[in-house]
Amino acid sequence: MSAAPQHSVFSLRRVSALAHNTLLELVRLKVFYFLLLFALLVIGCSIFTVKFSFQNPLQVLKDVGLGSMSIFSWLLGLLCTANLLPKDQEDRTLYTILAKPVSRFEYLLGKLSGVFLLLTLSTLMMSAVFAGVLGLREQQEIAEITQTTAPEQLPKALEAVRAAAFQLNLIPGILLILLKALLCSTLTLLLSTVATSSVFTILTSVVIYLIGHVQSIAREAWLSGTGQISAVTKVLSAAVALVFPDLQLFNVVDEIAVGTALPLPLFLQIAGFGAFYILVYFLLAQVFFSSREL
Amino acid sequence: MSTSAISIQNLSKDFSVPFRRDAVRAVKNLSLEIPPGEVYGLLGPNGSGKSTTMKILLGLVSPTAGSTSVFGINSTLVGSRENVGFLPENPYFYKYLTGLETLLFFGKLCGLAGTPLKHKAHHLLETVGLADAHDRRLGGYSKGMLQRIGLAQALIGDPRLLVLDEPTAGVDPAGSHDIRDLILQFKAQGITVLLCSHLLNQVQEICDRIGIMHQGALVAEGRISDLINPPNQTQLVLENASPALLAALAKQTVEAGARVVGEHKPHADLERFFLKITGGKH
Ligand SMILES: Nc1ncnc2c1ncn2[C@@H]1O[C@H](COP(=O)(O)OP(=O)(O)OP(=O)(O)O)[C@@H](O)[C@H]1O
Ligand SMILES: [Mg+2]
Repeated sequence: MSAAPQHSVFSLRRVSALAHNTLLELVRLKVFYFLLLFALLVIGCSIFTVKFSFQNPLQVLKDVGLGSMSIFSWLLGLLCTANLLPKDQEDRTLYTILAKPVSRFEYLLGKLSGVFLLLTLSTLMMSAVFAGVLGLREQQEIAEITQTTAPEQLPKALEAVRAAAFQLNLIPGILLILLKALLCSTLTLLLSTVATSSVFTILTSVVIYLIGHVQSIAREAWLSGTGQISAVTKVLSAAVALVFPDLQLFNVVDEIAVGTALPLPLFLQIAGFGAFYILVYFLLAQVFFSSREL
Repeated sequence: MSTSAISIQNLSKDFSVPFRRDAVRAVKNLSLEIPPGEVYGLLGPNGSGKSTTMKILLGLVSPTAGSTSVFGINSTLVGSRENVGFLPENPYFYKYLTGLETLLFFGKLCGLAGTPLKHKAHHLLETVGLADAHDRRLGGYSKGMLQRIGLAQALIGDPRLLVLDEPTAGVDPAGSHDIRDLILQFKAQGITVLLCSHLLNQVQEICDRIGIMHQGALVAEGRISDLINPPNQTQLVLENASPALLAALAKQTVEAGARVVGEHKPHADLERFFLKITGGKH
């Protein structure tokens, strides 16, 4: 009889098998069809701006594109993550997996990585559609302007069109959109380790998302109000800020859309903030999941 | 003495029930040792705590009191599952995977990869009789087919211990016999098997020892022959015996100071009959 094989506490192979399987599950559930809606929206918007000849059609297109990319990736992450654990537990596939030499940490990490892969892929696809549509419109605009503008004003007009089109400075913005979606899915995963139903998970996650967007504004209004601010208020608002991530930070994307370049230090600061919350939420999820009765 | 394949010491498990103050006691002070290479049958009525015991053994459920270990490693450690194959009751796998993909997935979780894993998976599909269905999705598998893929999945990591929770539930009689033969094959290879089943005939055929649980407690344990056979009785089955021969035998028996306890025709087994009609083996 062979001796017992040495057990390695952490194995990348196991985690990647789980991640790959999660991605495969989501792909075979046909979640990518969801992205067709995004494509339709962006293309529709493009046609719409032609029909009604806006002042700056490319700018409208860019705002709509980035805005819907943000909503779509958030929603995709939320809906895919909320059911991940409950489904495995209900179907008892969790038993079969954890009966293998797989730790709960590896399981959780594998599942989350699968969602992260899905979100990264869909962000890439959405960006490709977005850049494609924007590029086409740019060509149309250029052709039109070349015909209608006087030759001496042409270089300046062309410059304006190019500035409004897809530019490399959009990439940090898209990365932040992705990061926000990853953050929200990790939060959803954390909620699903304590919740007893996925309806609860989804609703709570949506509420936290909304609070995350208004909390910084509310806090400012609250703290800058006239009169004495009690210590209790300060502690309370700090606690709220700690528990709920300040998602308003990610709205620098709006600035990027109008052409403002994002300074690297600020980008890194926001990215670090997002990564920190992802790490904390994931570790909390692990704490709850490892002590949970299956 | 070598370490036991399975060691269960004073194990108890309470499940708390919502809206009730007292908990359900699923397992009561259970102690059990299973040496390597033995086929052990855990029997008991529904709800007697068999599945719960197995889940605790695999670290899926945490014990309220007591402890369990597999080849000397405590069940709470992930490393204890390195040598174990588990078939849960009513197994249910990812519907969107094919039979082959399922085995590849579980193989990777056991640390296998590449060509050896592929060969292994195909070989196991052959073994459990699913070679023809290997590229079909599990969503379209029947209950018995799921049971078979479950068994293949339990075997993928070359386990030294197999824990099978009702391995033949939902499997047709021929398939059930195949599984019986497989278990005997594992036994010949020195693999320890812990199984629970409601098919007492089968348990009798394959198990070295059994334990009977009732309401969470182990109420009987030992070799089957020791448990059920009256030690001072012998059965004699005759063919073409004339009434005169029978009378003579009876007379001789009494003369020798023994006693004929009963006389009846050997009853044919429905399982055997079913297999003959449906053309199954045996
Ligand atoms: N997760 C759980 N929560 C609450 N009670 C449970 C849970 N799992 C099992 N039980 C209870 O524990 C007891 C033993 O259940 P178990 O599944 O171990 O029985 P079993 O012997 O496998 O029965 P069967 O032959 O029907 O498979 C039952 O009373 C059951 O209701
Ligand atoms: Mg059971």
